[in-house]
Formats: sequence, C-alpha cells, structure tokens
Amino acid sequence: MHTSIYLIEDDTTVRDFVLRSLQTRPDWSLVGYSSSFAHAQAAAADAAANVYLVDLGLPDGRGEDLLKSLSRSNPGAELLVFTVFGDESRLIEAIEAGATGYVLKGCSPQELVAAIEQIQEGGAPISSLLARLLLKRLRAAQGGPSPAPVESHQDGGVLLSEREGDVLKLVAQGYVNKEIARKLDISGHTVGSHIKNLYRKLAVHTRVQVVRVAQERGLV
Amino acid sequence: MGRLLAALGRIQAWVWASVFLGLVLVQLTLVSIPQPAPGAVSLSKATVTLAGRAQDAPETIALPHVWDDEQPPWQGDARYAFEWPRGVGPSQSLALYLPRVGARFRVWFNDRLIDEASWSTADYVDTSVVPHLVDLPSELIRPAAQDNRLEIEVRGQLLRKSGLSPISIGPREALQARYQRVFWWQVHATWMVVACSVVVALLGGLIWLQSRERVFAFLAAASLAWALRLGLTPLVHPPMPFELWFYLHKLSFTVYCGFIYLFLWDLFDHPPGRLRSLGTGILWVCPLWLVVVILREDYDLYRVWTGVLVVVAATALALMFRRARWGLDGKQRLLLVAGVVTVITGVRDFGVVQLDWPGDADLRWMPVGSLVFLLTLASVLVQRTADYVQQVSRLNQALEQRVKQKESELHAAFERLRAAERRQVLEDERRRLTRDMHDGLGSQLVQALNVVRSPDGADPAVVSAMLNHALEELRMTLDSLEPLEGDLPAILGMLRRRIAPALDAAGIELDWQVEEVPAITVNGEGMESRGVMHLFRCLQEVFANIVKHSQASRVTVRTWVEGEHAMLGVTDNGRGLGEGFRQGGRGLSHIRLRAAEIGALVQFEDLRPGTRVRFRFATRGE
Repeated sequence: MHTSIYLIEDDTTVRDFVLRSLQTRPDWSLVGYSSSFAHAQAAAADAAANVYLVDLGLPDGRGEDLLKSLSRSNPGAELLVFTVFGDESRLIEAIEAGATGYVLKGCSPQELVAAIEQIQEGGAPISSLLARLLLKRLRAAQGGPSPAPVESHQDGGVLLSEREGDVLKLVAQGYVNKEIARKLDISGHTVGSHIKNLYRKLAVHTRVQVVRVAQERGLV
Repeated sequence: MGRLLAALGRIQAWVWASVFLGLVLVQLTLVSIPQPAPGAVSLSKATVTLAGRAQDAPETIALPHVWDDEQPPWQGDARYAFEWPRGVGPSQSLALYLPRVGARFRVWFNDRLIDEASWSTADYVDTSVVPHLVDLPSELIRPAAQDNRLEIEVRGQLLRKSGLSPISIGPREALQARYQRVFWWQVHATWMVVACSVVVALLGGLIWLQSRERVFAFLAAASLAWALRLGLTPLVHPPMPFELWFYLHKLSFTVYCGFIYLFLWDLFDHPPGRLRSLGTGILWVCPLWLVVVILREDYDLYRVWTGVLVVVAATALALMFRRARWGLDGKQRLLLVAGVVTVITGVRDFGVVQLDWPGDADLRWMPVGSLVFLLTLASVLVQRTADYVQQVSRLNQALEQRVKQKESELHAAFERLRAAERRQVLEDERRRLTRDMHDGLGSQLVQALNVVRSPDGADPAVVSAMLNHALEELRMTLDSLEPLEGDLPAILGMLRRRIAPALDAAGIELDWQVEEVPAITVNGEGMESRGVMHLFRCLQEVFANIVKHSQASRVTVRTWVEGEHAMLGVTDNGRGLGEGFRQGGRGLSHIRLRAAEIGALVQFEDLRPGTRVRFRFATRGE
C-alpha cells in the first residue's frame, strides 16, 4: 500500500527532519503539511493521507482536538502523535482522542521510518509505563481492578480480553514484543495488533462514554 | 398605660409581697374581730366540781378553765354547772355552742343527757380540737330561767390543756353559722395548709434529689414537719396512743422550726458558727426533752421548750435584720417580709389565746402565716433555681462559643500546617528537580556546548550523542514524575528503554526475567518520584559498570519475592567484581548511598565469572 503522510507540526526543523527521513523511502510521499491548528483543521482531513503525524503542542490549539476530528473524518488513517517526551499521561489522552501510536521527536530518521512501518503493518508502539496506565484505565472502565476477561458490553464499552490483558501486563513489566510473543506463544505481529486494538478500544470507549454522558444530559 | 405597667414592672417582688401580706393581715384582723352571735349569750362563769376531790362546795371559776394550769394539774372528770341566762326562753329553737371543750364531754340539761362526745371511747380522744354545737331540745326548756340547769361534764387529758372555754347559748341558726365558720377555719383551712405544705415538701425534695443542694432538703424537711404538725392538729380520734400523738405533734413543730432556721442560715449565706448549732441543737435535744415531758406529765416543761423555740426564732429574726443592715438582695428582703408576717401571726395567736388580747381566739392566724412563709420560701427557691438554669444556659452558650472559636482556630492552624506541608513538598520537589537538572541535563548540555565551540570543530556524531543523552536524561526525569506507586517491574520497564540501546551497542544480550512483585516502599510510604530517580541512578550506574568494565556478553535482570521483600538481581557473565568493580569503586559507593536513600539493601557478589548485584526492597507486607 502506498504510504502518504500528512505532517502537522509548527517546528520547521522537525519538518526538515521528516522530509530528510522520507528521502530514505522514495515510495512514500508527504502529501501535506500544516504548521498551525487552524490550517490543519481546514486542510488535513481532505488530504489523501493514510498516516498523520500530529504534534500535540501546536501554538494555536490542542493536538488532541485535531486527533478527535481526524479519527472521525478519516477513520482508516493512522494517527501518530509526534512528541518530545513521550510523557505517558499525556499520551494516554491522545490515544483516547484517537491516536493509534506515537513517535518520539529526536529519534533518528531510521527510527521514524520504522515506527511508520510498524504501524502500517498493524503494530503499535508502546512503553511499559503506557501499558501500565492503559491497564489501569481499562480496568477502571471495566469497573474494578480485577483482570477478569470480559469481552465486551452490549453498549460497546471497552474491555480487556484475557490475552490483551496478558500482553499489557508483560509490556508493563518491561518485556519487548519479541519476548512477549515467545512467552505467550503467539507471533510478534499478533502482539502488535493486540496493542493497536487496545488503543482503538480506549478511543472508542472514550467516545462512547462521551456520547452516553451527552445523551444522559439531553445534549444529543 | 404602657408607662404605668413598666413602672409597676420595676417594683421589686418584696414590695409587692409586703403590700399583699399587709392586706392579708388587715383581712385577718377584720375577720377575727370578736362578734357575738346575734341574740346569743356568752357564759364565762361556772361552778365546777372535780370528781374525787375533797371539796366543801362547788368552786366558782372563770372560763376559759385550763386543767394543766391548775396546781396540781387536774385529772379525771369534772362537772361544770351554769346559771341559765335570763331572757332566753323556749320561744325559739336554741343551741349551745362550745368552742373548746375536752378531752371528752357530756352535756346535761335539766338532768337529761342531751349530748356526749366520745365519753366512753377507750382510745385516745381529744374533742377540744374542734368546736361543738349542741341542740337544746325546746321541750326541756322551762319558762323560768332559774328552773333550767345546764351542766357540762368534762373528762380531761393531761398535757392537752383540757378544760372548757366560755360557752354560748342562743338562737340555733346564729350559733350554727358561728360554729361552721370556726369549724371551717380550724379544720378545712388546716387541711388546705397541710396539702400545700406537702406539695412544697415534694417539690423541695425532688429539687434536692436533682441538685443535691442542702437548702432544698431543709425546705423539704421543714415543710413535711409542718404538714405533719398541722395534720395531727384537728384529729379528734388520732389512730394512735396519746403519748405518741403528743410526741409527734410537738416534735414536728420543733423539727419545722429547726429546719427553717437551718434553711435561713444557708439562704442568707451565714458563715458556719456557734449560732448555727442552735438550729441543729434543738433538732437533737427536742426528742429527748419531749420524752421527759411525757414521763413527768408536766406541761410546764413543754412551756420551757417553747421558750427555747422562741429564742431560736428571735435569733433567726435578729440575724436576718442584722444581715439586712449590710444590704439584702430582693429575695432576702422578700423572705424577711414573710418571716415578719409569720412572726406577727404567731405572736398574735399567743397574745389572743394566752394573754387575752382583743381578737377572736377561735380563729388562729398561725396556719395562714406559716403557709405564707412556706410559699415564700418555695418561690424564693424557684427563683433561685431559675437563676441557676439561666446561669447554666449562659455558661453553656459561652462554652459553645468558645468551643466553636477553638474549633475554627484549630481548623485554621491545621490549614496553615497543611499549606506549609504542601509548600515543603513543592520545595523539596523543586530542589530535587533543580539538582537533577543541574547534575544531569545541565552538565551534559554544557559539555555539548563546549564540544560545539571547540576550535577543532565539532564532530556531529559526538554532539548528536551528547544531545541525545541529554534528552534521555530529561525523559528519565519526566518518567520519574509519573505516579508509579512503587511498581518495580514498571520502573524497570522504563529503565529498559534507556539502557537497551547502550547494551545493544556494546553487544550485550539482555535477558529480561522480571515478574510481578509487591509494591516497594520507602520508610513505610509508597515510593515517590525522588525514590524512583534514586533507583534509576543506581541501576544506571550498575549497567554503566557492566557496559564499561565487565566485558560481559549477557546480563540478566530478574525480580522475585523473598519473604516479605521484593528482590532485584542484575547478573552479568563478565570479568567479575575484582577487576571491573574495583576500577569503578566510586560508582559502588554511589550505588550504596543511593540504595540507602530508598531503604534498599544492596549486595555485590563476585560469581567468577560474572557479578551479581542484588537489591532488597521493603514492601507493604513488612
């Protein structure tokens, strides 16, 4: 599949870095670029991109809000958060807003390309801390600290399958995908897709919750 | 109108009471002006014969005739004969009125027995306590006055002042009215006073039970004694032997006087002293004295005792007046007024009955006076109790206010303390971050700057590595600020991200055997960011040693539980402790120091080949 990338970033050095990195993959293209929230809102959704690189710290708006609108307007696209620190509590908000992965600014061009490839292949980057936070968040959504497997609610609430829980737990303990795959006797690819799945669930769950709250308050 | 009411409201209770009691005294005086019944004749002279006494002729005496006053006192039966008054004839319905006769009597008219009262009753009887009205059958009345013979037989009782008072003969209707009035006064009024006294006694007793203030006990005892005294008075047939009746009747009066005395003593706040023992003294002596009186059957002995009581009463009054000179409050003035009125009633009765002062001797003022006194005492106590209640409620209010004030002060102090704590925590955190930035990030940036500025020109790879390192340092500091709650695997997971590239670069394989362990604690508290940072630095140092000095090809990171401790082992297969770690001696002491900061025990083991560093952490289970 052709990879077309849209960058939303106010820092020109970062843009240059992205352009440099993409030179290693001539088959990929940067189809658009926004340096402000306003421009991105106007232009990003209509760009024919399947990977969005979104900076959370835009000067005129919250990156999370962009993620929300993009996940709705372009549900098939991958939304990668482009962040300096990867501070997990902020990342988890981004995931709830619809992000499907993240890339740390300051990575090497190879790392950026690898991250985009990984996500294209159905995987998702994750850190042990993020896994820990996800576990907490999903268990809380499930209504208790018990990791009991509950597939899903009829209302579409999120929930952690047993296998997903195992994966998250191992990630939280610092294991990398390869080790997890070995321990659980599954493929590395499956580990990645579990994680990606979890991201989606969290985003959907959050959206469902918002809608439910809105319905309860008579707003919708 | 309103102004008048306000002016009246300012007048104190004792003034009202004085006016009211003055009116009562005037009313009593008016009621007891001697008024012979219309058409009746009073006979106050008689001839008397005492049975069994050697006597030439019947003795002529003036009424009232009191047997106990005779020398020696009369006992037994005596017969009084009267001269029939002229002008009283059979034309009208006649009656004979006997205000005081007893202890028992019979009336003979023209040799016919026309009335008798308990003449042959075996038990103790005293008819003298009530008045008597005897019909004179008109058919027995002879037209000529000198033909009519009226005789009254009396059977006396020692110590009861038996005998006969002046009698009246006259129209039945007029005498009956007189009789009824005196009967009401002597019997019904007395019972009413008894009832009031019992109520006052009960009230006083109940308040005493609640408050344990002895002044109420004194009032209760005095009221009860007075009720007993008055209750025994109008009994013609007391259900007890004479001796007991006499004993109780006189004793209750003394008890009344004694307790009133003690009551006043307390109420006026007199200091304890010899004069106070006058009150307790009569209470102790009276029972014995009365025994002597009964044994000697001598009414004069009781008169002596009455003298003692008069002395006690006079002392009480004198003390009250003396106190009055120092200044009295409203309650004490009120009591003084009531006390004076009571004494006046007592003196009046004594004067009229014993000293022939003008006035109706049949109408006694003393019950009324004593009732006034008791009610005044009760009202003073009620007022006093009300004052206490008010005082207590005022105290309560003050206390409540104080408690509220203290509570808010405490709250404010607590808030200040918390604010100070928050400031302290922030300050600590700020210092730590500053120090970390200074030692880590700052120095790395300075190094990078120096490299860039070096005259030889900067090697981009070196600068890039340095800046990368600085960025990693910053990320680690930020990671440490995440709420990790002492989750050792998560901390190690974070660390792994930092160390893995260096290990990769050095060609060292990482064997990750981390398992869940209980949350680690520092001094019993969950591990905070400072502790996480210390742990990071410790492990960084360990791995730096491995990468730089151990020449290992493999390092294993393992966690496990040992007893109530969480354990962490970092084992390499390198040269061992001897070479590698000796060179990094400073690093070792750093590790120990930082481990001590987070309460962890650290051990270095030389495995030859290889080295194992073991950390032992405290957990909640401890």
